[in-house]
Amino acid sequence: MSDPQVVTHHDGSLVRRLVRSAVMWVLPILALTAVALTWFYRSSTYRIFDEPLESAITSLIATSQASPDDKGNWAVDLSSEPIDPRYQRALSGRYWLIGNLDETGEIKVLQASRSMAGETLTLPVTDAATILKSPGDELRSVANGPDRDSNEQLRVIARSVILPGMENTPVVMIAAADVSAANQAIKRFAALASLLLLFLSGGLIFGVLSQVRLGLKPLFDLTNEVANVRQGRSERVDGQYPSEIAPLADELNTLIGHNSDVVERARTHVANLAHALKTPIAVLLNEAETSKSQLSDVVTRQSEEMRRQVDHHLRRARAAARGQVIGVSTPVDEVVMSLVRTLERIYRNKDIDFDVDILDGLRFRGEKRDLEEMIGNLLDNACKWTKSEVSIGTHISTSDDSDFVIFVADNGPGVDPSNYEEALKRGARLDEATPGTGFGLAIVDDLAKAYKGALQLSRAKTGGLKVTLELPRTVND
Amino acid sequence: MRVLIVEDDPDLSRQLGEVLKDMGYAVDVANDGEEGHFLGDTEPYDAVVLDLGLPVIDGVSVLQKWRADGKTFPVLILTARDQWSEKVAGFDAGADDYLTKPFHTEELLARLRALLRRAAGHTTDTIEVGGLMVDNRAARAFVDGMPIKLTSHEFRLLSYLAMHRGRVISRTELVEHIYDQDFDRDSNTIEVFVGRLRRKIGTDRIETVRGLGYRLLDPAAENNKK
Repeated sequence: MSDPQVVTHHDGSLVRRLVRSAVMWVLPILALTAVALTWFYRSSTYRIFDEPLESAITSLIATSQASPDDKGNWAVDLSSEPIDPRYQRALSGRYWLIGNLDETGEIKVLQASRSMAGETLTLPVTDAATILKSPGDELRSVANGPDRDSNEQLRVIARSVILPGMENTPVVMIAAADVSAANQAIKRFAALASLLLLFLSGGLIFGVLSQVRLGLKPLFDLTNEVANVRQGRSERVDGQYPSEIAPLADELNTLIGHNSDVVERARTHVANLAHALKTPIAVLLNEAETSKSQLSDVVTRQSEEMRRQVDHHLRRARAAARGQVIGVSTPVDEVVMSLVRTLERIYRNKDIDFDVDILDGLRFRGEKRDLEEMIGNLLDNACKWTKSEVSIGTHISTSDDSDFVIFVADNGPGVDPSNYEEALKRGARLDEATPGTGFGLAIVDDLAKAYKGALQLSRAKTGGLKVTLELPRTVND
Repeated sequence: MRVLIVEDDPDLSRQLGEVLKDMGYAVDVANDGEEGHFLGDTEPYDAVVLDLGLPVIDGVSVLQKWRADGKTFPVLILTARDQWSEKVAGFDAGADDYLTKPFHTEELLARLRALLRRAAGHTTDTIEVGGLMVDNRAARAFVDGMPIKLTSHEFRLLSYLAMHRGRVISRTELVEHIYDQDFDRDSNTIEVFVGRLRRKIGTDRIETVRGLGYRLLDPAAENNKK
């Protein structure tokens, strides 16, 4: 048997939901952090990098003098060169330059450090335009080094300056240095920061996951408890729960209690109705029996009809209340033993041999009185028809581990297999099943169906009827 | 045979009383559990018909109290409650039989007879003592096949003697088992009934054991002994 009332609509997992939302804010924030850190590192690296270049330009401005030569061309002389010895060594990676800039970024050299080795620099066109447009401003740009083969990357600080006497043609003063070491440091920093932050985000997500698992554990416990109640392993939701879900557990217990109250009340009403109506009917029937007249005939007929109606509706009402209580289980051996004890007294004149073989600890997942009704009717039926012996036994269902099979067999005349269907069909039409007639199997069949069980008839080895009933059991794990 | 009916429905208890009296039983009726328990506790009934849903004390409790006090009379539970759980509870409390309402009077009588029979150790409803036959099913008696006319008290007396034939039964025991509680119990009336009974079935069939009581005999067998 499968569980029919399982909610199949899943709206994702709560754990996945919480972890996903954590990832959704952890990853962008950490990525942003990586970008910001790298940016700060980069700007401070460049600031330190730029400082000697700026002081070189300041020194160039302070020490340069312009003078025309004999052909009217201007020349620039320096009273003293910037002092860094690297300016003196050819292609050392540190350069200064004074010259005329044109729109293409080409610089016509007027004066340069020895490290330039007679070469010139070319600035990007857009930077050249900016420099020409705004004399006096410092601009940071890039350029290739004077050594064409080495592919040297330079960071350049350029400033357009008007030297005294050269008012019409501003000169551009440039200090540059090989930037590749700084760039590499920045790249290394960015990679390291990203790696560390990646580790950090992994750790955070793992933390969130275990936090969610731990935080939701009471919820998983509650789920298990509710399953236990439904499987009949416990009667109520037990355990200590945090204040957020403790009310839910309490509500569930109230609901379980309410459920059994409602079923119990329905049953009590039914039983009261039975008692209230059956006695008057008995009185009417008995009274009518004592005289023979038209009145007594009518009373007898109508009372019989009332009795039939009462039986019919009682059975319906009882059936409606059946199989609805959750969280109950019944020891099978106790029920069978008390029924056998009772039937031994009812049929004491027949001297019936009872062969009882019930699995130890077997529990029916349902109400005691329903099991009593089923087994009671089967045993009563067997006792009624048997010659001398009635056997009752159980085993776990081979097709479904959560079911058990109970059988009752007698050595009476048995039922012809062609009549099996007829014997059970009465269950489908309740109004035909009158008490005291037939095999009483209709009631058992109704009850078994209420528990999603099954009833089967077959021929016993001893020749009589064997009734097999499959019912849900409480599985203790 | 004296029977107690514990039933709270006045019509049903009246009907049962009438039917049982017709069948030659002395009948007392209690209308609630308390009265029923008291009567069963103090009077020596031969059988009890007990309803379960009773006012004051319920039937199962009444039965449990009787059994706890060592009362062994057979009890037939007559109830509207037809669930096996209730049957089991009834039998476990000490019931001897269980009949559900509505019921046929014949069925009730047959089961009651079976209980009385079993209690006295007989297997049939008719008891024969040397040509005298007492038919408890029909509440009639025959001598050598000829029916004899008996009043209900006379039949009760005869039936009780027949159930316990061969045993000396005291006058007090007879009074307790053939009269219901409302009857004026002057033990001399027993002698009157015994006298009338002797006239109808033959003097030598009932022996007077001086100081002890009466005994039902097979006169032919007694003569052979002598």
